[in-house]
Amino acid sequence: MKLAGIKSVENAHDDSIWAATWLPSTASRPPLLLTGSLDETVRMWRSDDLVLERTNTGHCLGVASVAAHPLGSIAASSSLDSFVRVFDVDSNATIATLEAPPSEVWQMRFDPKGAVLAVAGGGSASVKLWDTNTWELVATLSIPRPEGSKPTDKSGSKKFVLSVAWSPDGKRLACGSMDGTISVFDVQRGKFLHHLEGHYMPVRSLVYSPYDPRLLFTASDDTNVHMYDAEGKALVGNMSGHASWVLCVDVSPDGAAIATGSSDKTVRLWDLAMRASVQTMSNHTDQVWGVAFRPDGRGGRLASVSDDKSVSLYDYS
Amino acid sequence: MESQTHNEEQGVEHLFRRLQDFPDDASLHFDIGLFLWEKGGEANGSTEKAAEHFIESAKLNPKNGEPFKYLGHYYGRISIDTQRALKCYQRAVALNPDDSDSGEALCNLLYQGGKDSLEAAVCREASEKSPRAFWAFRRLGFLQVHQKKWSEAVQNLQHAIRGYPTCAELWEALGLAYQRLGRYTAAIKSYGRAIELDDKMVFALVESGNISLTLGSFRKGVEQFRQALEISSQCVPAQYGLALGLLCLAKDCMNLGAFKWGASLLEEASEVARASAYSVRNVSCIWKLYADVQLAYARCYPWIEEVQELEANKEAFSASIISWRRTCLSAARLARFSYQRALHLCPWQANIYADIAVTSDLITSLDKDYERDLDACRQLPEKMCVGALLLEGDNYEFWVTLGCLSDQNALNQHALIRGLQLNVSLAVAWGYLGKLYSKMSKKKLARQMFDRARSIDPSLALPWASMSADCCVRESAPDEAFESCSQAVQMMPLAEFQIGLTKLAMLSGHLSSTQVFGAIQQAVQRSPHYPESHNLHGLVCESRKDYRSAAISYRIALHAISIALLDNQNSQIKDVSINLARSLCKAGNAVDAIQECENLRKEGMLDFEVFQVYAISLWQLGKNDLALSIVRSLAASVSSMEKTAMEISVSFIFRLLYYISGLDAVITNIMKMPKELIQSSKVNFVMSAIDALDGHNRLGFLVSRNLYFLNDHDEIDRVHFLIALGKLVKNGHDGFLAVQSGIAYLKRILHMFPNCSLIRNLVGYLSLSGKESNSCHLATRCCKLDHLDLSDKEGLKSASDIHGAAVVACYANGNSNPKSTFQTCTNQCSRGPAAIRYLQRYFHQKPWNHDARYLLILTYFQRAREERFPHQLCVILNRLICVALSNEFCGKKEMCYEYRQFQLLLCASEISLQCGNHITSISHAQKASVLVLPDNYLFFAHLLLCRVYAIKGDLLNCKKEYIRCLELRTDCHIGWMSLKLMECHYQLQIDSNVIDSNFEECLKKGANSWNMWIAVYNLVRGLISFHQKDLISAEELMREACSMAGFESCLFLCHGAICMELARQYGGSMLLSWAVDSLNRFHELLPISLPLASLLVAQAEGSLGAKDKWDRSIRLEWYSWPSVMRPAELYFQMHLVVRQLKDGPNVTGRLESSHSAWRWVIRAIHMNPSCMRYWKVLQKLMQ
Repeated sequence: MKLAGIKSVENAHDDSIWAATWLPSTASRPPLLLTGSLDETVRMWRSDDLVLERTNTGHCLGVASVAAHPLGSIAASSSLDSFVRVFDVDSNATIATLEAPPSEVWQMRFDPKGAVLAVAGGGSASVKLWDTNTWELVATLSIPRPEGSKPTDKSGSKKFVLSVAWSPDGKRLACGSMDGTISVFDVQRGKFLHHLEGHYMPVRSLVYSPYDPRLLFTASDDTNVHMYDAEGKALVGNMSGHASWVLCVDVSPDGAAIATGSSDKTVRLWDLAMRASVQTMSNHTDQVWGVAFRPDGRGGRLASVSDDKSVSLYDYS
Repeated sequence: MESQTHNEEQGVEHLFRRLQDFPDDASLHFDIGLFLWEKGGEANGSTEKAAEHFIESAKLNPKNGEPFKYLGHYYGRISIDTQRALKCYQRAVALNPDDSDSGEALCNLLYQGGKDSLEAAVCREASEKSPRAFWAFRRLGFLQVHQKKWSEAVQNLQHAIRGYPTCAELWEALGLAYQRLGRYTAAIKSYGRAIELDDKMVFALVESGNISLTLGSFRKGVEQFRQALEISSQCVPAQYGLALGLLCLAKDCMNLGAFKWGASLLEEASEVARASAYSVRNVSCIWKLYADVQLAYARCYPWIEEVQELEANKEAFSASIISWRRTCLSAARLARFSYQRALHLCPWQANIYADIAVTSDLITSLDKDYERDLDACRQLPEKMCVGALLLEGDNYEFWVTLGCLSDQNALNQHALIRGLQLNVSLAVAWGYLGKLYSKMSKKKLARQMFDRARSIDPSLALPWASMSADCCVRESAPDEAFESCSQAVQMMPLAEFQIGLTKLAMLSGHLSSTQVFGAIQQAVQRSPHYPESHNLHGLVCESRKDYRSAAISYRIALHAISIALLDNQNSQIKDVSINLARSLCKAGNAVDAIQECENLRKEGMLDFEVFQVYAISLWQLGKNDLALSIVRSLAASVSSMEKTAMEISVSFIFRLLYYISGLDAVITNIMKMPKELIQSSKVNFVMSAIDALDGHNRLGFLVSRNLYFLNDHDEIDRVHFLIALGKLVKNGHDGFLAVQSGIAYLKRILHMFPNCSLIRNLVGYLSLSGKESNSCHLATRCCKLDHLDLSDKEGLKSASDIHGAAVVACYANGNSNPKSTFQTCTNQCSRGPAAIRYLQRYFHQKPWNHDARYLLILTYFQRAREERFPHQLCVILNRLICVALSNEFCGKKEMCYEYRQFQLLLCASEISLQCGNHITSISHAQKASVLVLPDNYLFFAHLLLCRVYAIKGDLLNCKKEYIRCLELRTDCHIGWMSLKLMECHYQLQIDSNVIDSNFEECLKKGANSWNMWIAVYNLVRGLISFHQKDLISAEELMREACSMAGFESCLFLCHGAICMELARQYGGSMLLSWAVDSLNRFHELLPISLPLASLLVAQAEGSLGAKDKWDRSIRLEWYSWPSVMRPAELYFQMHLVVRQLKDGPNVTGRLESSHSAWRWVIRAIHMNPSCMRYWKVLQKLMQ
């Protein structure tokens, strides 16, 4: 497997780009790349030439996260002041705005069926689930307090929830916190199951393997990428190689490789069979905040976005 | 229906009539025959008649195959004359090879007769005759598959599929042929097509499952077998495949170390295999599979318990270990039983003997009871191995097995060498041989063996482990040893390797690495009975600052020791107990820690570490006397310690003494210490810290002397850091820190260590706290900010914090939007918007960082202020502040948090005020005013309240707040000035001099820049006079201000403007020239051009009659405006410039010449059509 650069757009945004995700194709258009940036805009790019399709404005602070509905028609973006805007991709009509106290919205992900939007709740130490039909809050999955701490004790804010991921069957939900713990929830019963331990610094990104609802990949500031058996509560693999924080991770649609982006300004491709880094792309000149594999389509594509304001697209084969 | 039969009958009658006319027409005979044949079911006679007609037709037209076909049917089915039938069919096929009915019937007959070769020949002949004889290809393909002629079968089947593309059986057969030819991907595709066409194809599913297993995609294979079982739940091959697939998956998991996952897969596999074995019973390989699954289970089943519950309960722990062991053992026993069954069914299979040998060995190692009848059991594995070898003496794997299982070294060596003779590239055998030699302590030989093993197969774990052990013995390269061992662990997650890895990590300082964490967790799962694994787990947890889990692990390790009854129990107990005491102490559980220490003391096992833990725990509980006595006994033993222990102990003693007995006691103690004890860097650091707090500089001599002993840059930096802080304390007075002297010292140090970010940050921090003018710019220049700050040190201010604070501190935010404001700060012109972005990035990096959010809010507030509080920004700010207030400060009572809350409340209040929401504004400000803060700060809350009431028109309350401000007083100059302005605006004055005198007092305190402050105060007074229409005194005050602070541009602007106004009112060229002077000075000081300033100059110059200067100033004015905002008057003025140009034909500027004068006027009118003056001029121009 390898990555080959296809196209890179310098100054794709006016400032640092913080988030990227792929909108699946619909009947009327091919898949689009969605990026969110500190310049308070969300932009859509047509693959493979990375032609700018549209720029959405409306946020008042930097856009920290974007999420794409599995059907490709709806997307959501959130800014640092925790203002979530859900919009129709083709018309840019606002479908809903979800408000939460600032710092209580971080990463967002739609569930595989598209019925629920999970929002990592930042300082609230929980994951909020929004129904995508009514856009009402349907559940709050809270991380239980560690034993021995009083409810009045505000050290609960230590569990700042940064990232969230759905298992491919939609039954489980995992979220990563600032103190390095990962919490796994049973979504149907709305119940906390257990913590996964091993990271000791913030977990900024995590993703389930598309084939195996047990296998979870996590990226952390402690420079490691971990592979967990999320059901058996066991750390089953450790991939190290980045020189600084690992900010983002995504798994390839064939489930054979993962890509990571890091503060050391590189994108790495990891072969899961070898559990080793097989390629390092160092075309970015600042930290890489987002990597995303294109979910469908014939040729494998990986996009990466960075603080250096550029978007890069690679061929994955 | 009836009409149809009627029609038919009519047709037949017609046929018969025609037959009478043309008795020799073959086709007529055939049609009649066909009709009769089809009616054949009703009356028996008709088929015979039909046959007659067919015969007739065949006779008349022997070239037509159809009658022969029906004749064949007749002979084959009705008159049962096989020979005739064969002949007829043969004839039919020979005439028309595409005739699939005859062909099939012919082949069926041949097949029934057992004449396969004839059948094949017929098919081949037909297929050669016509490419469209698909039936023949199909038949031939099936036949060839049957005869295992795979490659021919593939061709024929492929051809047949062109004729029958939806025939699932054909695809299935094609798949099988491909599979047998080893073309697996093609086979999978064919099977897949078969399954697509018919989802009940169990065979295709099973076979594609088998191929998936062969290709190593177990998950897919498992899925396919599951599908097959759904169709036919009793299908044994599918059951077998499913169990095998699950076993393979589980082995993958085990190789990753995911034991629980593996165990759950194995449980399922075992269920399937068991059901299958018990339903069929006589298939050896199923029993063997079942046994394999059980054996894997015995090796994989993890010990997973809620350790918290076992911590205090030794019995429960012991019980859980026993039950874990029992589960493993029973699985191993079950495996052996199943192997025996398999062997019983197929006693000629040598490998089952070997399997039994391996299983027996595992059972022996798991079961303690076996030690009773030792000999018999020990020999069993060996014996079984020999059994395998007797059957297959040339199988090298059995030799290796024997080499591992026997417990006689000579036999081992012999067996392994035998294995190598049979296969020289057998890495495993080399590895085991190496292990054997190292056991026999033949070092050199062992290394050779391992090297060879590694060179043959680098993915074998054992040689790596040995290499690591080698390095470890040499003690030279702990890192190398760690690397090798981590390789071994990655290849094979064996508890022994993992424990070794953790030990090596301890030596090489990798204890907190993730790999070690994962390894030791897995080790605990697979060897819970081994105390060391718990102990090491505790150490790993401790290194990751998880002290509670560490303590639990140590407790469990103690349980394990007492259960295991080891030889050197006491020393182990001591080590673990020390660890336990330490982690309990770190976890804040002082009571239990003391308990542990006392236990150790009873046993007489105190060392310096225990002393420290003991003393700290006692101190934490407030038992200072006891703690001191412990410290004393520690001090007594210091001289006998080795160097590092001594350093640690001494610095510990100093620190604890400081906390318990205070500064003076510790200083006297240090003075008393022998010199050689306090010369190390560690001790020196503690001493420097103590010195920094000491105003009398008693240790200064020692500290500065010790500085020469340091050679590590980091250490030197840190000591200088402390010295600088010491300067603040020592040179300060009356509770004020001597910030400037600290900065001066640091600047010198910075000259020596220009790269030290620690010092740089401190300079930045101190210059910000110095509150000098321009200090914020100094701070930003000091701190390096090449990359976002990735450290997570708490306590010290990071470069990002300092930058953020500096941005907040600068009054000018450098807004790029010229509509709202103009940049006037001379120092930091372009950083404003970038700073907001920067702070957002900082906040995004660490969203839990309250400092970042606080700074972001303040910067945003600055921006909102500069842009005159646009609604959008106010909304965001309100939200941000609201959250910051709600969760940031709860539970924290330190002053700096209270101050932040105060600041945020004031921001909130201001925003509400700007949005016109007076009530909220008042409530916020009132909340701020009741916080526990010095009056100095509270002043501002009341000042704001005063303003709000004033704006609201509530003068009574306004006055009240004003008086409250006077009572509280502040050290801040700006505060008094604001109050002064308020006083004048709303006529609140009580006593004319109160504020003035307060301000002067305030000036005395901050001695540094009082010139500037007086100047500003004069400015304020001047403005007040101006408001009171007392222009002359305003001018005087301004002039004074200008002379006091000759560097402040805005003073000159004000002075100039007031002079102009005076000149307008009273005339006088004196005033005008003053104005010109001031305004020119203003231009010199301010690097950018501010709108209106040049216009003033122009007016003054114009009035003085200096035409070209007027002209130049107007043009300057033109350029100082952003193009969208130029006022109408400016256009008008430009018209004057142009007109003047016409008068005097000197230089033609580009700008003026671009438009004629009347166009300028037109543009001015366009901007402001209501001004009659412009119209008049236009009129004049038109004339």
